[in-house]
Amino acid sequence: MMNVTISVVETINLRKTYMLGKVPVNALQGVKLKVEKGDFLAILGPSGSGKSTLLNMIGALDKPTEGKVFIEGVDVSTLNDNELADLRRRIGFVFQFFNLIPRLTAKGNVELTMAILGLGKSERRKRAEELLETVGLKERANHKPAELSGGERQRVAIARALANNPKFLLMDEPTGNIDSKTANEVIELVKRLNEEKGVTIIIVTHDQQITSQTKRTVQMLDGLIIKEEVN
Amino acid sequence: MKVSDVFSYAFGAIRLRKLRAGLTILGVVIGIAAIVALLSISQGLQDSITEQLQTGFATNTLIVSTGRGFGMSAGAMTATESDFKLLVNHTQIIDEIEDVDMSAAVIQKPGCHIRSGERELKLTVVGVNFTKYTNIYSGTFVAEGEEIPLNAENEMVVVGKRVSDPSDNGTLFCDVNENVGIKWTNITSIPIYPYFISRNETYTGRVAAVLKEIGGFGIGPSDFSAYIPISQAQSFFGTDECDTIIVKLENDDEATIESVSEAIDEAFSGQVSVTSSTAVLDIMSSVFSTVELFLAGIAAISLLVAGIGIMNIMIVSLMERTREIGILKALGMKSRTVLLIFLSEAVIVGLMGAAIGIASGWGLAHIVARVFSGGGFMPAGNRAAAAGGMTITPVLTPTVFIGAFAFGVIVSVIFALYPAWRASKLKPVEALRYE
Repeated sequence: MMNVTISVVETINLRKTYMLGKVPVNALQGVKLKVEKGDFLAILGPSGSGKSTLLNMIGALDKPTEGKVFIEGVDVSTLNDNELADLRRRIGFVFQFFNLIPRLTAKGNVELTMAILGLGKSERRKRAEELLETVGLKERANHKPAELSGGERQRVAIARALANNPKFLLMDEPTGNIDSKTANEVIELVKRLNEEKGVTIIIVTHDQQITSQTKRTVQMLDGLIIKEEVN
Repeated sequence: MKVSDVFSYAFGAIRLRKLRAGLTILGVVIGIAAIVALLSISQGLQDSITEQLQTGFATNTLIVSTGRGFGMSAGAMTATESDFKLLVNHTQIIDEIEDVDMSAAVIQKPGCHIRSGERELKLTVVGVNFTKYTNIYSGTFVAEGEEIPLNAENEMVVVGKRVSDPSDNGTLFCDVNENVGIKWTNITSIPIYPYFISRNETYTGRVAAVLKEIGGFGIGPSDFSAYIPISQAQSFFGTDECDTIIVKLENDDEATIESVSEAIDEAFSGQVSVTSSTAVLDIMSSVFSTVELFLAGIAAISLLVAGIGIMNIMIVSLMERTREIGILKALGMKSRTVLLIFLSEAVIVGLMGAAIGIASGWGLAHIVARVFSGGGFMPAGNRAAAAGGMTITPVLTPTVFIGAFAFGVIVSVIFALYPAWRASKLKPVEALRYE
């Protein structure tokens, strides 16, 4: 093999056009991005710059209009619905609005991803407890999202995202909806995961606190990457 | 995702909205209960009628009539309108036929009166050979206390239980060894003129025995008749013509029934009709299956309404859970699994609805059967008389049980197919964006 290391994520000339009513919107206009294993990348940009669209492409939630997304060398556009679902099981999503299932407890939410993967009950339970301990929520395991604070919810979401040993974590403004003090805790947690466990992390954010911690930052504007810097 | 996990996830979703789920289940319950109640009552009714028919009309007996006289005849009926008369001494011809044990002629006169003291009852007087009748109807032509006299004297009368004790309350109309007056009105029409000659014939008989309570209706001995010796009936009614001849066979093999029926038919040149209890039961059961199909059809409509309710609720729930479906898909759940979750919810609703429906339908059937049997509305004394002594015990056959279960679940699933399919087709990005 010529390529000794395969990038975790690679996009080539990525374009996405969608219709907003009758007006076509060019959300991405040729994005070229490479993320290597162990990377800690922040994607910055004003709203409407195409950050979220890019994240959906990388997360195999949506397909590009043009160009290609490779995840560990696999061309996402060639996959069918079932294969995309399989791929998503190995991608850890963390959303701005947490997106936990309200009727499940913290532990239930973490277990759900493993249940989707088909793991057995006892294995799920054990791993969920470990993960909640990692994010510092061992004591809150049996609480439902409504009984948790924003920061706690986001940590549950992180534990959930980590459950299936993902290839990388995709975070969409993870601190956008929590106060700055708890945001700090979340950032510390994410940083530790990257440094200690070598988890590859891609964060879309406005938060200056985060960009100062990441290894790399890219700036987006009007569907293009306009600036890239290594911290 | 494991099937057990799919079900427990679906169950969790149902539990979250108890009232809504309860009402959806109620729809299924009503439909299934209606089906089960109607079918088990009609099955019970059929069983009860069959049983009563068989007490009066054993499978090893045939009934020979002229075809005008016996209303329930069918199948074997070949007689045509003619001057042919079935006579009492025709039993001699029938007795000659192979496999015939014995035969008994029956003369029936409805509208006779029986008088005891100042009171009078209107009833049917039946002329039979007591010896033969006792033998043929050994289960029902049985006296209470006294024996039925085998070598009957002419004035002897055997009365049914309801003749002796019409109100079933111990106030006797007549009892053993009491004299009763028997009266019938002989009406002779005169040709040419529209005149009738009507003359009351009477004689005094003596009650020799009272029959044990038979209950029910049907063919054979009845609680509401008086029985007199056949020879007395011949002279009293002034006729040798009989209404039916009851034939007892050596056995109740189908081949025997058929060969004897044919032989009798032949002996009377096709001018009689021969009815077997098997034939009557066949007709009855075919009538009942038509009725049951009709009833089940009506009940099925209510289940259809329940199905639409399920669909309606699931579409609403689909809207509410769009975001949840988006999350599940983002976590890597396959469309197929989303479909299965929604269908499992329908299966759970269907199963619970069917289980509760069968139980409540069964209970309902018992309540209705009680009312039908005259338990609730009539004073005690009239109960048996009013309902003809008939009691219905609802019967839940395994077919109805399993069928109701399957039907409940299948209807639920069918109506859930569309919402479930829509849920499974949601695009993750759009579903996640849904507010």
